[in-house]
Amino acid sequence: MEKELEHSFVELLEKHQNIVHKVCRLYTNNYDAHNDLFQEITIQLWKAYPKFRGDAKFSTWMYRVGLNTAITLFRKSKRRINTQDFDGVEFRMKAEDYDDTEEQQLKTLYKAVHELNDIEKALVFLYLEDKDYKEISETLGISEVNARVKMNRIKTKLKTILNP
Amino acid sequence: MDELELLKKDWNKKDSDFKKLSSADLYAMLQKKSSSIVKTLFYISIAELLFWIVINSIPYFSSDSYRERLEAIYNNEHIITALTIFSYAVILLFIYLLFKSYKAISVTDSAKKLMESILNTRKVIKYYVIYNLIMAFVSMVVGMYLTIIHDPKLSHVIETFSNKQLIAFIGIIALAIVVFVVIIWLFYKLLYGLLLKRLNQNYKELKKLEV
Repeated sequence: MEKELEHSFVELLEKHQNIVHKVCRLYTNNYDAHNDLFQEITIQLWKAYPKFRGDAKFSTWMYRVGLNTAITLFRKSKRRINTQDFDGVEFRMKAEDYDDTEEQQLKTLYKAVHELNDIEKALVFLYLEDKDYKEISETLGISEVNARVKMNRIKTKLKTILNP
Repeated sequence: MDELELLKKDWNKKDSDFKKLSSADLYAMLQKKSSSIVKTLFYISIAELLFWIVINSIPYFSSDSYRERLEAIYNNEHIITALTIFSYAVILLFIYLLFKSYKAISVTDSAKKLMESILNTRKVIKYYVIYNLIMAFVSMVVGMYLTIIHDPKLSHVIETFSNKQLIAFIGIIALAIVVFVVIIWLFYKLLYGLLLKRLNQNYKELKKLEV
């Protein structure tokens, strides 16, 4: 029984692992911390899995556990030898996809998002993942109106950073 | 174009950047131990319980002569028994409250609810510490008073004190007790402050959104 549960869990997690990676990318800034957070989220997901009911989508459920772990449960990684920041845009992508200005804008944007506080990051993350305000408000435990207001403030904040 | 829309476009393109973990990697992760703050909080609360149980048990397990002296000081063995029963009842009550508050912590709640459950657990531990510090304070003061009264040598010495000396003597003892209690309190403030710093910050941020 336990084996079956483990098997179904790993199968689902393997399929949706990018959600966890994305949370880690947002909340950590080096490779070791990324791995530590990934592991903690995996453990938390696994601990909560027996209570996971099929009526919620596995991915939706993952967003909640992943963010909760990143915002609340995770103690910052102790390993800090490699503190070199990786800001998404750096290690990837063919240049032809973007013109210089867009590339530059994205770089600044990623940097700006990294500088937001934990709660703001969570809002941006859910927004980028195409979640509606109902789900955002339920995940964070705030009202829908407040989620909207905060999101607009973040947009303004980012706009100012980009066009000073 | 809206800045976030630009980001969104790029955000979803970059899924392939991540190192894909195999199921074997994931299985290995399941064997690892969690290092979440809830777990740390749990270990600290167990340590607290044990620490104060040991402190409470010192009179009980100490040598017979010490107990006899205690009984002589209190003049009544029932008082000691009653106090012991009371202190264990309080410990049991706290164990129950802690257990209940840990059970209420769920990673699948909303972020705010989860933070509140953890802060609630921390509150239970705080009350436990406050209770113990008050008890420690009271028993030190009472103990000191009874020792002075019942110890013939000491009370003889004190009789020779001038008024000024007596005030200084009481002042020093009172100061020592207060310092002891304050140091323990600061230690707890630091311990929990460090552990829950981020949680407190994020909780405040969430509360701020509601204003």
